[in-house]
Amino acid sequence: MTFRTRLLLLFTISIVAVVAIVEALVLAQTRRAFERSEGQRAEALVAQFRKEFDRRREEIAQDVKRLADSDAALNIAMAPDPERWVNDAASLASAHGLELLELVSGDGTIISSAEWPARFLYKEDWLTPTDTAVLRREELPTGMTLALSAVREVTAGERRLYVIGGQQLDEKLLSTVVLPKGMRVLLWRDLGGNDLPGLGPLIERVKATKAEQTATIGSGAAAETFHALPLTGYDGSLMAALLVGSSRRDLVELEASQRTVGIAAAGLGIMLGVGLGWWATARVTRPVRQLAESAGKVAAGNWGATVETESADEIGQLARAFNRMTGELMDQRERLVQAERVAAWRELARRLAHELKNPLFPLQITVENMQRARERYPEQFDEVFREGTETLLAELSKLKQIIGRFSDFAKMPAPSMQSVSVNELVGETVRLFAPQLEQARIRAALEIDPNVPPIQADSEQLTRALRNLVLNAIDAMPDGGTLTLRTTALENGARLEVIDTGQGLTPEECERLFTPYYTTKTHGTGLGLAIVQSVISDHKGRISVESAPGKGTAFRIELG
Amino acid sequence: MRFRLCAGLSLALFAAAATRPHYGGTLRVEVREAVESADPPQTGPGMADLNGAFAITRWEAGRRAVFQAEENAPGGRPFVDSVDVQMGAPLRERVIDLGRADVVEFAPGELRQAPAGQRMWSSSPVKLIALVFGPKVEDARVREALALAVDRGAIHRVLLQGQGEIAGGLLPQWISGYAFLFPTTTDMARAKSLVAAVPPAARAFTLAADDRTMADRIAVNAHDAGLTVTVVTGNADVRLVRARILSSDGPTALAGLAATLGLPEPARVDSPETLYAAERALLDGFHVIPLAHTPDLYAVGLRVHGGPGITPLGEWRFENVWVEERGR
Repeated sequence: MTFRTRLLLLFTISIVAVVAIVEALVLAQTRRAFERSEGQRAEALVAQFRKEFDRRREEIAQDVKRLADSDAALNIAMAPDPERWVNDAASLASAHGLELLELVSGDGTIISSAEWPARFLYKEDWLTPTDTAVLRREELPTGMTLALSAVREVTAGERRLYVIGGQQLDEKLLSTVVLPKGMRVLLWRDLGGNDLPGLGPLIERVKATKAEQTATIGSGAAAETFHALPLTGYDGSLMAALLVGSSRRDLVELEASQRTVGIAAAGLGIMLGVGLGWWATARVTRPVRQLAESAGKVAAGNWGATVETESADEIGQLARAFNRMTGELMDQRERLVQAERVAAWRELARRLAHELKNPLFPLQITVENMQRARERYPEQFDEVFREGTETLLAELSKLKQIIGRFSDFAKMPAPSMQSVSVNELVGETVRLFAPQLEQARIRAALEIDPNVPPIQADSEQLTRALRNLVLNAIDAMPDGGTLTLRTTALENGARLEVIDTGQGLTPEECERLFTPYYTTKTHGTGLGLAIVQSVISDHKGRISVESAPGKGTAFRIELG
Repeated sequence: MRFRLCAGLSLALFAAAATRPHYGGTLRVEVREAVESADPPQTGPGMADLNGAFAITRWEAGRRAVFQAEENAPGGRPFVDSVDVQMGAPLRERVIDLGRADVVEFAPGELRQAPAGQRMWSSSPVKLIALVFGPKVEDARVREALALAVDRGAIHRVLLQGQGEIAGGLLPQWISGYAFLFPTTTDMARAKSLVAAVPPAARAFTLAADDRTMADRIAVNAHDAGLTVTVVTGNADVRLVRARILSSDGPTALAGLAATLGLPEPARVDSPETLYAAERALLDGFHVIPLAHTPDLYAVGLRVHGGPGITPLGEWRFENVWVEERGR
């Protein structure tokens, strides 16, 4: 991943993160505001319900008191035969606006029941007079119900009558509550099996704590927040709960709308950010990219590569430092080249001096012998002269040969490419050197790959390079050995290996092996392997050496 | 003081004239049942009992019947010239009409509506109120549980206003003499244990009755025992029936009841012991659960004298009564 891509990605992520954070904050704030408003509405409804609930309790208590104070109740209380009144509760309840009414004798026996006429003579266990109506469970023919009931005692002499009257606590009570849009009220009654779908856990919490609880039921637009108000009975037990539900649809829709706007803004921001990022990163990364390209050029050998810079920031400083560095590299290389050139000239001079000194010394001796023979032994001068001139010619021939080799290295011509069979070349070379190899007690081993294709090469130069390597191998095996010449077909060319079993080379010697005028031998110009490398290089090939002391040496040439 | 003497003398003379039998006048009777047949009933207590002493002169099925005194009646001419019977009047009208009518039939449960101190003719307990099971209630434990759960005492005391007697057997005490041997007390614990052993599907059944309040009470008792009884109209698994006893002879009455209730014909009996055994056999299996025996009840107006106008079996004997003429 490029620096620019990374920078662009960073830009984009930053924008998305900022938009997401802003969106989250807005959503959170909206949610808080909605919940605050919803809570206030729920509180208002609960207060409204409480007021209505208390009013209803007071009304019931008053109705029961009026009935207990009536002549009818007094007559029933005084009557010695209460079974006469078995059907009276219903009419009395109707007359006093009560849904439920039981007339109970002093011993707790039901005389008459409006809600369940057939329960006469059953025992009623709750006969505690109350000033106001309280919640209690009431059994009806249709099942259990909850009722707001009040108890009044009527006394006639020694006789007593209990009047238990009330109203059922059901959804009718909720009809008096004015509901804002999106809200509803439910009444949960602890009658067993009266579960409201989804509200079980909330009701369980209310049961456990007997305190107001809030919970959100459902999910998405169907979710509702419920505030539960516990309603306890006369004995303090939880008998019912008012559940004020507030739909979260508006909130969900608002959040969805905000989310859509947020996503659109984020999308726009991302596009804008990517555009701006593209432009900005281009500006920022251009000098960096130029630096990278220049560094690549330097790595490729173009040490003179520089970076154009106009900015004064850190990138500009880096570019200037790079330019300084490449400048210094160029200077150093120049100095190195100069030094190497001087060293080469010195090596050349030393070698020339060394090479020329050897034939010059016999020349000097021969000439001095000839002069001495002329002066002291004139009769032998002809003989000495004949021998001297032969020697002189031989040594001059050597000098000429030395100069020729130097001249050859200096004047290495450009290769003339033609199709060459490497295998044939190897065979000819071995045949050429066969006598020398035999004399040096060296066994020639040919490992020829018949699949080696012909290559484009200068036959003469390649032959010269191969011969130099063979000569080098012969020199490396003064005590005899094995010379292996191996050819191998490559995908796009051929490999030629010349392997000897001589004394081998150290790593340092391997490093300097192709340096001109470097030699490990006591004779030679040190140009043989340099010429080989030059030829291979001119053929766009590669040459490498693998050797270790005592393990022989292997030269590998790959040509395409 | 003088005024008091005159007033007392005139009241005494009036009472003497009122208690002296005389002929004439119409005995106005109101009965609960509306007989819808095309012709007047020829059997059973009630209007059929007037045959012989009276002759039907007007028949409006379900509404009214007028009987004229037979001049040549076997027991002699009745005192009243005619008997005017109004049928099927609701309780409210019958109560209001007490001031106008002479004889008004009341059901025991309706007695609480009658004015305090009202003069009444009452027969012996001649009507059996019982629960009769149909074939769908197969499990005898269910039938026994209901028999043990029903609070006959509460029904008798409140719904029947203490009239008649609690019944555990088919025949009333005044006929058999051994009715007290049949258990009538509730045993809710045993009823519950019986119900607990019954499969839940067999614990529910329907009950039909002409007396909704009594049916509801039975349903409440059954509920306490763990049974589910639904009160319906029309066909039901159990029926609350009223069967009239037509004879004061034990074996005859038992045979009549068995026939009415759909029970097998009882074995021939010749002693109280065999009668008891026969009745016991009829009650085995709890196919019939006797609840109470109730009397026929008639409120009698101040104009009516003589009598009693009904027999212990509830038969009308209106030829024995006379009425004061209006305005006297």
